[in-house]
Amino acid sequence: MNQFTFEGKQKTVLGLFILLGLVCMGLTYLTDDELHTRFWSNFLHNTVFFTGIAFVSTFVMAAFTSAYAGWHTIFRRIWEAYSLFLIVGLGLLMVLIGGVWLHYHHLYHWTDVTALQPYVNDAGVYSDVIKEGFKENPNYDVVLGGKSSFLNKYWYTFGTIITVGVWYLFAKRLRSLSLSEDENGDTSYSHHKKIKFVSAVFLPIAAFSSAAMIWQWVMSLDAHWYSTMFAWYATASWFVAALALTILMIIYLKSKGYLEELTGEHIHDLGKYMFAFSVFWTYLWFSQYMLIWYANNGEETVYFHTRMRQYPVLFYGNLIMNFALPFLILMRNETKRKFGTVGFTAALVFFAHWFDFFQMIKPSARINAEHAMHAHHSAGGHDHEAGGHAVDAGHQFLMGFDFPGFLDIGTFLGFAALFVFFAFSRMAQASLIPKNDPYLGESLHHHV
Amino acid sequence: MKKQNKEVLYGLYNDEEILLDAIKVANKDHLDIMDVYTPFPVHGLDPLLGLEESRLHIAGFVYGALGTLTAFGFMTWVFTRDWPIIFGGKPYFSAPAFIPITFELTVLFSAIGMVVSFYTVCGLGPGTENPTLDDRITDDKFCIAFDTAAYSNDQLSKLKDFFKQTGAEEVNTKMI
Repeated sequence: MNQFTFEGKQKTVLGLFILLGLVCMGLTYLTDDELHTRFWSNFLHNTVFFTGIAFVSTFVMAAFTSAYAGWHTIFRRIWEAYSLFLIVGLGLLMVLIGGVWLHYHHLYHWTDVTALQPYVNDAGVYSDVIKEGFKENPNYDVVLGGKSSFLNKYWYTFGTIITVGVWYLFAKRLRSLSLSEDENGDTSYSHHKKIKFVSAVFLPIAAFSSAAMIWQWVMSLDAHWYSTMFAWYATASWFVAALALTILMIIYLKSKGYLEELTGEHIHDLGKYMFAFSVFWTYLWFSQYMLIWYANNGEETVYFHTRMRQYPVLFYGNLIMNFALPFLILMRNETKRKFGTVGFTAALVFFAHWFDFFQMIKPSARINAEHAMHAHHSAGGHDHEAGGHAVDAGHQFLMGFDFPGFLDIGTFLGFAALFVFFAFSRMAQASLIPKNDPYLGESLHHHV
Repeated sequence: MKKQNKEVLYGLYNDEEILLDAIKVANKDHLDIMDVYTPFPVHGLDPLLGLEESRLHIAGFVYGALGTLTAFGFMTWVFTRDWPIIFGGKPYFSAPAFIPITFELTVLFSAIGMVVSFYTVCGLGPGTENPTLDDRITDDKFCIAFDTAAYSNDQLSKLKDFFKQTGAEEVNTKMI
């Protein structure tokens, strides 16, 4: 049985979860602070997380095709379905972009236009050089000013639209070539050759553009801070999440009687990938941490200082769930071959990488919000010390920032249901197995 | 393959698929295969021969854990007890700085430990004599070997028939 049918019952359940997500988002908005920081940071968090999974699915298909890999062919359609979610991701990102332009949210410190130039006159005109009638700008922030050629709303807007748009075009092209191979594929393999070409073009584009996008979306929350490891680290997080979601989807589809030819051998390899990339993620996490710890530069350590001192549950919980547990559980051969243990670990790390992004986004969003509210209330209150970060003392537990609360989990489930709903609808459009793919035979006989 | 003064009857095959089919026939006829030699790992061979999963990786884990403890413990002892030095304003016990070397020693211990264990268990390594049945089984031939001591003359002719039926290229006897 290789034709997936999107049943009414599945639609109802997923629809209810999406509804739950909407209700949770509504409740978050109503119970939030005056800048609706929890609502907007949840929106950013889930949008980035699921758009990233769609991006990684496209990337993995392109990488595997370029590397002459064949074993994944049997479940390639799942990645195709995931990758098409990029268009929904772009729509969600447009909401965030709209928020930047219309000042609906204050997630990013760099949106504060009063802080970018050193001189100002009484009419509120800013200048880079001192002129007649201009005086020093009390709000001037030299770091934000220096970064303003990249961290500005034009880059944020057009960078996002063009990049995610290009990713989507590639995903769509790979999908349409694969579908037309089902219809008209023959032994000249012209479709596969085109897929290979598209894949090879996509890889370098994906490598550079994903880094720029993660800087814009997530790293710029800490506008004073930067880390050269951050793009890799966040992409590795997406990567493990995408693999985990693939494993969960395969287990679900098999429980429904689809993908009969998919065996423990394929799950074994996916389990190995999940294991390897969990370790890869840890390597990047540790490299970022150790370089900053060893160099001990004030403007770099502020990121880890905040997280270790004020958010220890996020900081250490992240390491335990994303490194220690998958490392120890997946180390043995047998656990990577059993659907039960692999499925359990996949569910764990899927949540854990969502938690990882929570840990990247929430503390910074909170600091920015406190900063923005402070600036609202007191005239000229733009303190420069440590980039305006709150001191350790007086840190209060805040649900949705120090730890994910029910509303955040509900929002997560809503977004996840939207993602799965979209993936199911795309999977129902074609056979679950690309029947004319030249590598299908290799995939069916896959043996580890 | 240790030198055991055994007389071995062996057949050489050209292809791993033919070899696997031959082993299936041997299993059906309850022939007691001494060993199978191939130039590269053949998928599906282990379960056909009824071999258990190797325990080498368990040994590897133990060696690795030993390496972790050695490196971390030694550095901790040196930098907190034996010869404390301040590096870059860091505390004496600087766990993050110990991690890279701990990682490296974990890999080194498990790798070397597994090589030594493997060589010891298989009787390989310098100073040991390792006779081969035929040099071509390290290149392009696949070999099934029987220990003749376990068979009477009648049965030996049956084994030769077996080789003939299953498509062996060559059948020889050799003392090893």
